[in-house]
Formats: sequence, structure tokens, C-alpha cells
Amino acid sequence: MQTTQLVFSLKTMTRTSWIREGTITEIVGELSSGRTSLMTACLRDVTATGGTAALVDADGAFDPASAARAGVVLSRLLWVRCGGRRAAALAATDLLTRCPGFALVALDAGETPPRVSLGAAFRLRQAARRAGVALLLVGRRRVAGAGATLAVRTRRDTLAWAGSRRAPTRLVGMSTCVQIIRNQGASSPPPETLAEPQWWTA
Amino acid sequence: MSRVACVWVEAFAAAAAERAEPSLRERPLAVVTGAAPATRVVEANAAAREHGIRAGIPEAEAVARCPQLVRRPASAACTDAARRALLDACYGVSPRLEDVAPGLVHVDVAGLGRLLGGDAAVAERLGRAARAVGLPARVGVAGTRAAGRIAARAGLGVIIPDGEADALAPVPVATLDWSDEIAQALARWGVATLGELARLPRAALAARLGSMGLVAHDLARGVDDPAPWTSWAPPPFWEEAQELDWEIDALGPLVTVLGRVVERLTARLSAAYLVADALELRLALAGGGHHARTLALACPMVAPRPLLTLLEHDLGARPPQGAVTAVALQANVIPCRAVAGELGRAAPPAQRDLATVLARLVTLVGADGVGAVALTDSHRPDAFVPARFEPNLVPETGRDTGDAVLALRRLRPPRRVSVATDGERRPAVVCGALGPEARVIGCAGPWRVSGEWWDAGAWARDEWDVALSDGAVCRLARELRSGEWYLDGVYD
Repeated sequence: MQTTQLVFSLKTMTRTSWIREGTITEIVGELSSGRTSLMTACLRDVTATGGTAALVDADGAFDPASAARAGVVLSRLLWVRCGGRRAAALAATDLLTRCPGFALVALDAGETPPRVSLGAAFRLRQAARRAGVALLLVGRRRVAGAGATLAVRTRRDTLAWAGSRRAPTRLVGMSTCVQIIRNQGASSPPPETLAEPQWWTA
Repeated sequence: MSRVACVWVEAFAAAAAERAEPSLRERPLAVVTGAAPATRVVEANAAAREHGIRAGIPEAEAVARCPQLVRRPASAACTDAARRALLDACYGVSPRLEDVAPGLVHVDVAGLGRLLGGDAAVAERLGRAARAVGLPARVGVAGTRAAGRIAARAGLGVIIPDGEADALAPVPVATLDWSDEIAQALARWGVATLGELARLPRAALAARLGSMGLVAHDLARGVDDPAPWTSWAPPPFWEEAQELDWEIDALGPLVTVLGRVVERLTARLSAAYLVADALELRLALAGGGHHARTLALACPMVAPRPLLTLLEHDLGARPPQGAVTAVALQANVIPCRAVAGELGRAAPPAQRDLATVLARLVTLVGADGVGAVALTDSHRPDAFVPARFEPNLVPETGRDTGDAVLALRRLRPPRRVSVATDGERRPAVVCGALGPEARVIGCAGPWRVSGEWWDAGAWARDEWDVALSDGAVCRLARELRSGEWYLDGVYD
């Protein structure tokens, strides 16, 4: 698999222009790497500007309190809880992707993303293109394969604590590095460089 | 200038039965009451009346006159539902109604002619509204209630202002329902039309027939009785019901019956520009019990097919414990709000598309798994309540915060873990979190949170943010009452 790495700022990543409508974007990463925070930032960017978003939560792990602190407008977010059923999560994502009017449909597949055939991935992309919906797939590993237009990997950089070194009193935040692992349409791979780390406040 | 429309449905009990079973409209139908063998006809539809079937005749005689006659028992629930449906339909045209009798409504339409394009347009609008809820009504518009009733029954339509006397004159007296005494007297005197009745001397009529004669004289001239107008107000609940002729113990036939009930209810809601945000289903069971269910809708809707899909899914998941003998469906209603979109901003999903998608999502993951949420005013962890998903409301823009917030992935319910602490009572080893055992390589806390100390539900816990050797950054909590440790979630 050809890996393409570009230099870019995460501040421009989380603007609506990065979440391209009619395409599939993937965010992958280990637990505590920042992938969920990146997904939440995308939900904020959509709902805070008046758009309607849907979150298909395979494991029911979405935290409304931290999302509201991040600026997500909860009344414009449809939350679908699948109770751990991967097949239901995929079916729900397919249903929502075909409904015009949602600016963003995000699937949080958790630590065990479902297997998606290449044909199914392309059908999803076609459905997203027809409905004008931006589809965001988040999980521990990639699922859409060549069906994704853009895929990024998150990796935790550092943790910051407040208080004494021996007995910290507070987790201040976490920084995340984001690496592009697929960017369909890029002409040639630039030199290997990583994006500047993104800082998440606890 | 007073203008009153009278909306009249002929043979209302039969019309209510036809509304519940539309397939009966083309067949001779009689509504019967009483216990066999003394069962009598209450009302008959037009096809049955052609065979000479009238109210009051025994059922056996009616069947003898018309062997193809369909009989249905008189149902108070069915008639009440149809009566309310007619009132709701008229309420959508004018808010000032008088509920005179089942199938007879007076509507104050003074001034509406200027809005709708004349009295004929008002009458047409009322007739269309009644047909939309399944009731074929005749409408008469006149300056008085009495004249309006006669105009509706005689098919006169609109009577021009101050033209009641001339319009009513040629109407046969047989068009109206008189008492036996009045009818016999009029027949004896050879009075055939309302005009002839109106020309009779009033004093002589009173001398021969008493106050009933004066009432008849006023009616013939289109003069209202002195009874004041009694306005009707919409009932505080919206319900449709249907009693079944036989018990149903299978889901398929029950859904078919429910489909008709849902269509009637949603037609009434649409006529009044209302939508439902919750449904209450009540099934009467053979043996005397009830099966009651309340369905909170993820999104207010009035489309019948998604509502029926939700009911079908709920009945499939929680079937009634017996055969069903009657169905009642009640809607919790809210006004239907139209919100203009904003230029340059993408429109939210259309109501019909959203309702269909939500209904299918509910079938997929259950009603509890779909919807929006709202935070509650509480310090308790994970405190939120389900909220209606209404993207069509006035757009609310959030704050474009400059800080990116670290998200927490919650475990529901929180996972109980074993934690070994060091000499300073700080977590050192965590067992059963995301793996069998993990060393704590960094931790911050404790942060004590508590609440509802004044109540039986008082709670208190110490929270820690820990970084584990397996790479996870978690939030641990120790309940102060029990001393147990829980994994609340993972920062990601």
C-alpha cells in the first residue's frame, strides 16, 4: 500500500472543506490516540455552522458531555446506538448515507470494526455522492479500502499533566500526530513529514 | 352580518361504520342494536334505504328485504371517533363550532367568504375537509342555523343573505324530521312545502299544536330558536378506536386493522396542522385484560406509514398476551411548525425522508437507540436524557470554540475493575480494565464529585485520570460508599 504523507495543519483539517461531501473519509488509530476527539471536532464543525449530522455508535461510547464541551450542538446530532452489533451499525450507516439532508454521517466502529467488502465500500461511496453526504468512518483499522477518498492515522504524541511530577493533580491534555495514509487524487508522494501535533484539552 | 354553515352527515352511525371499513361503502349496510331476536336497525346507508330499510325495523325484516345486507353492531367508540373527526375537520376551517348532534355541526363562517372567495368556496372547503376524514357531508350556508340545517338537508347549498324565506319556500316538509303529531297534522292539512307552512297564521298554529307548532313555523321561515350558541372546543386528546367483530391473535391481521386506525388518526392530525410526538396504543384482550404501550417518537411526524412501521415493530417485539378484541390509538400532539431555511446553509433532511429513515432505524436498533440527547443539570456522571431530534427547528449555531477538547469514550455500564494502590493510596495496578492487568504509569487526582446528598439517591465518588502501560488513558472512579473501583471511560 502506497503511503502518502503531507504536511498540513490540523486547524485546516477540521474545517468543513476538509470533510468533502460525497466522499468517504477514514480516521484510524489505537485507543487513546485522539481519533475520537478528531471525529468530535468534525461533528462540531458541522453542527455549529447549522448543518445536521448523524453518529452511528457501534459500541454506544459517545459522551454527550464532552461533545457539548467541544461545541457540538446536540440538538442537531442524531445519535444511533447499536449495542455492539456491527451488522446493524453498517446497515444504519447505509440508511443514513442515502438520506439527503445530512451534512455528515459518522460511523464510530470502535476497536473491532466490521469487515466491509470492496464492492460494499464503493456502493457506500456512490450513495454518499448521490445524497451529497460526507461519510466519516472511525475505528481501530481501515474498513473502506480503496473506497475511501482520504484516510488518516492518529498517533498519540505526548500527555501533559499539571502539578508535581511525582503526584500530578490534573490531566491537562494530550497531543496527537495525524498522518495521511491515503489521499486519492494526489499526483505524487511528497517527502515523508508528519503534520504538526494537535493539542486536545482535557 | 351573520353567516352560518351547517355540516350534515346523513345516517351518521352507518357513515361512521363505513369510515371504519371503507369497503362497506358500495354495499347495503345497516347498523343494528339490541340482543337477538329483538335486534333492530339503528341506521342504514343509501344503498340499504333503496331496499326500503329504515331505522327501527327488525333486523330479520331488513334481511328479508335485502338478502345482501351487511350488518354491523352499533359501536359507541366508532361513532364517537367519527363525531370527533368531523369536528376536527370543521375546526380546521373555522374555530367557532357548535356540536349539535352526531353528524351535525354548525360552523360560524362570518367573514370567511372574503378570505376564501365567497360562501360557495367556504362550503366546498368544509365538504372537502369532511371527506378527507372519511365522512361524506352536505353543507348549507345561510344567515341562521335553522336555515343552514335545512339548506344542508335539502341540498340547497348557499342561501343568499336575507333570502332564507324564498329559498326555503319550495322545500318539501318531508325533508325534515317532524314529530308524529306535527307530521300527521301537516299531512291532514295538505301542507306540502315549507313555504305553505310559513304562510299559515301563527296564532292559529299555536292554538292547534301548541309550542311545537310555533317551533315548526319558525323552522319553516328559517328563524333560529333563542338557544345561545354553545361553542365547541377541541378535546385535549386525539384518539381513534375500533372494535373488532372477531378476535385477532396474529400480527398480520392486527397490523391491517391498525393501519386503518393510523390512517384515520393521521388524517385528523393533518387536518388540524398537528403532528404526533408520542403514541399510546391500547388493545383490549379477550378475557378482559388490556395490552397498553407508549411509543415516544424520535422525531415528531404525521405520516401514517412510518407510524405503522413503528407500531408493527413494537408489537412484534412485545406481543399482546391474548387475542385482541378492540384497538385504541391515542396521539400526543404538538403544533406543526414550518421553519424557513437560511440562504447559503444546507437544508436539513426533509420531514418525510427523515420520518422514513427514523422508522427504519428504530426497526434496526430499537426505539431506545435512536434520537438526539440533551444534557441534564446535574453533576452526576453521564447525565443526559433523550430529546426529540428536530433539525427543522430554527437553526441554533454553536460556539466556534478555539480549543479542541479531548473526547471521552464511555463504558455503559461502567466496568468494575480491581485496583491496587501504592503507599499514598494512588492507583498503581489496574486489573480487568482493557486487558488482564496494566501498570499505572501516570495518574492525576483524586477529584471528588458528589450529589443529591439530600435524597435517597445520594452519591459520591473520587475520580482519577490514569495512563496505563498498555497505552490507554482512562478515567477511573472509586465509589465512596462501597469502596469499589469502576472504569468510566477511555480518553481518545
